[in-house]
Amino acid sequence: MDTLASLLHMSPAVAWMVVKIVIVFSAVMILASVWTWVERRGSAMIQDRIGPNRAAIFGRIRIIGLQQLLADGIKFFFKEDLAPTDANKALFWLAPFLAFVPALMGFAVIPFGRSFTSGGHVYHLSVLDPGNGMGMLYPLAIGGLAVYGVLVAAWSSNNKWAILGGMRSSAAMVSYEIGMSLSVVALFMTTGGYDPSEIIAAQGHLPWHWNVVPHFLGFIVFFTCMFAETNRLPFDFAEGESEIVAGFNTEYGSMKFSLLALAEYAHLMTASALIATLYFGGWQVPFVANPTVALSITSFVLKLVFFAWVFVWIRWTLPRFRYDQLMHLGWKVMLPLSMVNLVFHAWRMSQGH
Amino acid sequence: MGVVVKKVELSWLDRTYVWPVMKGMGITFNHFIKQLFTRTSKRYTIQYPDMKKEMPAGYRGLHELKRFEDGAIKCVACFMCAEACPARCISIEAEEFSDLNITQGFEEKRPQVFKIDMLRCIYCGMCEEACPKDAIWLRNDYEVAAYDRLSMQYGKWDLMNTYAEADGKERITQDPMPSAPRRAIAM
Amino acid sequence: MFLAFALITLLGALGMLLQKNIIVAGLFMVAAFFGVAGLFVLLANPVAAALQLIVYSGAIMVLVLFVIMMLSSHEEEAAEVGHPIQRWLSVLLALALAAGGVTLVLASKGVRQLAERGAAMPPAVTLQGVGATLFEGHVLGFEVAGLMLLAAMVGAVALTKRNL
Repeated sequence: MDTLASLLHMSPAVAWMVVKIVIVFSAVMILASVWTWVERRGSAMIQDRIGPNRAAIFGRIRIIGLQQLLADGIKFFFKEDLAPTDANKALFWLAPFLAFVPALMGFAVIPFGRSFTSGGHVYHLSVLDPGNGMGMLYPLAIGGLAVYGVLVAAWSSNNKWAILGGMRSSAAMVSYEIGMSLSVVALFMTTGGYDPSEIIAAQGHLPWHWNVVPHFLGFIVFFTCMFAETNRLPFDFAEGESEIVAGFNTEYGSMKFSLLALAEYAHLMTASALIATLYFGGWQVPFVANPTVALSITSFVLKLVFFAWVFVWIRWTLPRFRYDQLMHLGWKVMLPLSMVNLVFHAWRMSQGH
Repeated sequence: MGVVVKKVELSWLDRTYVWPVMKGMGITFNHFIKQLFTRTSKRYTIQYPDMKKEMPAGYRGLHELKRFEDGAIKCVACFMCAEACPARCISIEAEEFSDLNITQGFEEKRPQVFKIDMLRCIYCGMCEEACPKDAIWLRNDYEVAAYDRLSMQYGKWDLMNTYAEADGKERITQDPMPSAPRRAIAM
Repeated sequence: MFLAFALITLLGALGMLLQKNIIVAGLFMVAAFFGVAGLFVLLANPVAAALQLIVYSGAIMVLVLFVIMMLSSHEEEAAEVGHPIQRWLSVLLALALAAGGVTLVLASKGVRQLAERGAAMPPAVTLQGVGATLFEGHVLGFEVAGLMLLAAMVGAVALTKRNL
């Protein structure tokens, strides 16, 4: 690392920062785009179908259909890029970025591996070093901003279905944010800190000490709210293709649509990283007290991939909720549950546990 | 009389919603695993250009004009099929032929033009029913498609030759003379 | 960094004032909030920044935009004919306000201390610090605020729901 930095005429800290940003964001992007394939193939398998397996390089080499990504990318890239006549053009262009940037940014604070020391420097494997003061508030704040992508996309396309979708999903996201925040607050209390690295360190390496065991209620609430936050089924009120055409991205096509779709998957990656960090010990390896850096990264990636798969899995298991049922669930079930969770842990702490 | 709808009483476990979701996920996961470890040939999906479905015996696909063993067309141009056709897609022009040695001076009939418009045909099989000579039948093959309308007009030779190779027959482009009087064969 | 965030804040605020379309104005306001959050981070107060984003842009502005969309006033409202005197008066008042604000800030104790001691970065405010301050120093105010919010919530429900 030091030699690389001196070769590039940068300080090691700056070089490390650049390397981290490139690695993290490209990894998330690649995972997100691969997940479009996983979604299609996985859904096909769940429904006893086969899924896309025809795209091939030179008409010959088809690696279980993975080239579908490439084919989709090329197709989206060369499609005509048009905006509806009465749309607000500037916002129509801005919306995919507004959706995509927060989805990627949320990942910045999550440690994806053990910190290590080399040449007198401590290198942290998260884009923002621990102790930055934002901690877990940062993903929550960025998650709050993620609403605007949907909202702006919906409003600027000047289409009644789009506006309906945008309004439904923004209302859902705002109401589920409360339950989510409360369940995270309970975590802050028992951990005594709100930095993700502190939360991971407090969980230790034994699976029954991970937060999912004492905070099982909170985990369920958080997990459910993550579905609402990422606009995935069973809460995908932004799209709801059987009800309102395609919701907020009705008017979107070509690269803009693909950016919106990628944003959804990047969001999914961030959400599963959050779940792994908060409730499943982040980079901790089960039963290994001091894992090597590579092992810790592998453990984290495996957890992340597993939860991302659970998102896909649940999507193809459950039907979409009705809108009033969603609101009922959010306000009358999730919020009280997370409240109960919070009060229960407060009581336990007051009893000196 | 109205229908009495039975209300399903959910148990408390079902009402938590978490347990039924887990059950559902179990079902979908079973399907996933099963599909993942089934060989391609055993799956429900028939991957069409590589694999083809075995059509049942009575399937009505593309028409074929049958021939005798010596290659002569069985059709006698009686127009029964054209009459029976509800879609009016068969058009026949008859011709007479005679050979002194074989037909002994009798005139025999055969189609000079036998055209089926596959775009109009509804594959009902009435022509096959109507034919007194068993000269036309509907095969099991269903791949009747073309890039333009003209090539969907199947002529006499198309109807005789399309699947000739598959059946191990020769392609023929002109009517061979029958080698024996047909009445003798019929008797 | 400071310049960038200050520019975002200022341009957002200006855009909000000048924009006729009410939803675009709301989005400009979100940009201004974002800029303010950035300024908070520069002032070593990341907690305030995060809360700014969560509460103001994540919840309040979304709700405001939601209501605007629900009332679906997509037409840009034509301003009522105003008297020119109002405009001049408003400019004058704004100038007076700005002058007063600047003199107050420059005369404050903190700025004088800054000039004497130089700008050393204070330790970052943490969530624990905020919590301790709230519940030790300002517990009465905090509880009163909570009670008032509860009363407001109950009142809102009572007003809107005909038959409870």
